[in-house]
Amino acid sequence: MTLGRWSKLAALARRQGVLIAFVLLVASMFATTSTFGTYQNLINVLQQNSIIGIIACGMTFAIILGGFDLSVGSVTALASVVGATIMIDLGVPGIPVGVIGAVAACLLVGATNGWLIAWLGVNPFVATLGTMTVVRGLIYVATNASPRFGVPYSFTTLGMGRVFGVPNPAIIFLIVAAVLGFVLHRTRFGHYVYAVGGNPVASAQMGVNAARVRFAVYVLVSLCAAISGIILVGQTASATPQAALGYELTAIAAVIVGGAPLGGGRGRMGGTIVGVFLLGVVANGLNLFGVSPFWQPVATGLILIAAVAFDGYSKRGGFGFV
Amino acid sequence: MTENRVGDPPDALLRAEAINKNFGAVVALQDVSLQIPRGEITGLVGDNGAGKSTLIKIISGVLTPDSGVIEFERKAANFTSPAEAREQGIETVYQDLALAGNLAVWANVYLGRELTVGPKILHILDKRAMLSKTGEMLERFIRNVPPIAEPVELLSGGQRQVVAIARAGAWGSKLILMDEPTAALGVAETKAVEDVIFGLKRQGLTILVISHNLDQIFRLTDGVWVMRRGRVIGYRQTARTHPDEIVSMITGAAASAGAGA
Ligand SMILES: Nc1ncnc2c1ncn2[C@@H]1O[C@H](COP(=O)(O)OP(=O)(O)OP(=O)(O)O)[C@@H](O)[C@H]1O
Ligand SMILES: [Mg+2]
Repeated sequence: MTLGRWSKLAALARRQGVLIAFVLLVASMFATTSTFGTYQNLINVLQQNSIIGIIACGMTFAIILGGFDLSVGSVTALASVVGATIMIDLGVPGIPVGVIGAVAACLLVGATNGWLIAWLGVNPFVATLGTMTVVRGLIYVATNASPRFGVPYSFTTLGMGRVFGVPNPAIIFLIVAAVLGFVLHRTRFGHYVYAVGGNPVASAQMGVNAARVRFAVYVLVSLCAAISGIILVGQTASATPQAALGYELTAIAAVIVGGAPLGGGRGRMGGTIVGVFLLGVVANGLNLFGVSPFWQPVATGLILIAAVAFDGYSKRGGFGFV
Repeated sequence: MTENRVGDPPDALLRAEAINKNFGAVVALQDVSLQIPRGEITGLVGDNGAGKSTLIKIISGVLTPDSGVIEFERKAANFTSPAEAREQGIETVYQDLALAGNLAVWANVYLGRELTVGPKILHILDKRAMLSKTGEMLERFIRNVPPIAEPVELLSGGQRQVVAIARAGAWGSKLILMDEPTAALGVAETKAVEDVIFGLKRQGLTILVISHNLDQIFRLTDGVWVMRRGRVIGYRQTARTHPDEIVSMITGAAASAGAGA
């Protein structure tokens, strides 16, 4: 008699495993530390995870497509260096120019990735590893590896300001997630991302232009990285050539933890958001308990492996919501 | 000389004339000419490597012939891509590869021809309409429509093939080419697929089906073309021939078989 209930619970755990883990994690954080639930701490969690979150939203497309993008960290740094440099040189009137310049530079990298992968058939790992290294190198060359200071202070409104108590980066993350979630789950383009990721040959047979879909996805990923890079400038009024090192792996980890396996065809935007905050809350918890930050990558790696092992065990990724 | 071959079917929907195709030193098709009668189910049989798949790929635009012409509805139809063939109403059902397993049945049926709502540029999917219309479309050919909201990978092999074939017939197509559509299926599933093929015929479609299963050929077809080593050996109306005759044509065992090239 309870067997039915148990198997129902098991099925729920299989489908919503990460969400359940996340809810349990947050609940236990509330229970064990009084600081976790404070307004300031929750704001911190939002603030600290928005930049990775925006990148992860783009990465979700690349992973569902059956690829991934290693260049996002470099592209994020590129956006912040290009944007900051222009803003420093031109002052306050140069802010829009800086934003446009940053986005343009990143789109160029994204278009290069897309072109390599979609039309030259270069493996996504190789293509984006290449652009990741080249872009980072070019940033070092252009800046002589030294940071850029002196962005007009007013620009920090973007990174530090709040609306109704919510940090602006979190609001931007929310907007990006909502828009891209809509694109992924409600539009024809998102549909094609799943189709090409699931079976490129069948999609092509049915008239889907797989190359165009791939190209667009890698451009989209770089656009997300550009947004993150610009927010980074807004948080510090400066840009460092070493910015966003390793962000690509954190973003990929968040997407995978959120239920989109490498290999493509599966995953949801809602899952990615849970993945981002699961990793974020764990990092925050380690911090609150006074654990050295050096343990944070250890935790991220273990969660990643656990999530993938669990998914392999239950053989059914993805979330039933959003 | 091919015009008055004994047993040539009348009113051809598609004609192939003197098709040649080589792969390097391999001669896959040699002077192949045949007609596919309108509204019928036509079989295409022959031993492994006889050139059946190559011929289907040429008709559907996947391959281009070295020489020869294809005529579809009395118009030249040497297609250079499957998309071109599809536009003219020629659909191909492959044994695998045809469906995206991660997509729902309805999404596969509408893949590449999605219905959208709202502002044109946004291409917002009209899932509700596609769901309900998929049901109607499949019901035209299938008695037991599989759950259309489920991912295709959760269906059995037979259900998948049924979906693939019904999809091919659902879009106002005229000619459906099938390369061993039941090769991987059990008895019951084969029966279900054959039912769908009959369903297509009832709707007035023309079908060319490759099969190694002669029982199936005799169950399904109105006529059958036999190929051997890249050549067309001949055509027989199914009702007027016998499996033994077809086998001897396939293997070249009896001299009486060779009416063709
Ligand atoms: N892409 C290719 N490259 C080289 N040779 C090929 C290619 N495709 C087919 N062939 C050769 O052409 C000949 C005809 O092959 P085809 O696949 O058309 O035969 P078939 O009648 O479909 O055989 P089966 O019943 O085994 O499917 C064979 O000798 C095959 O090896
Ligand atoms: Mg074959």
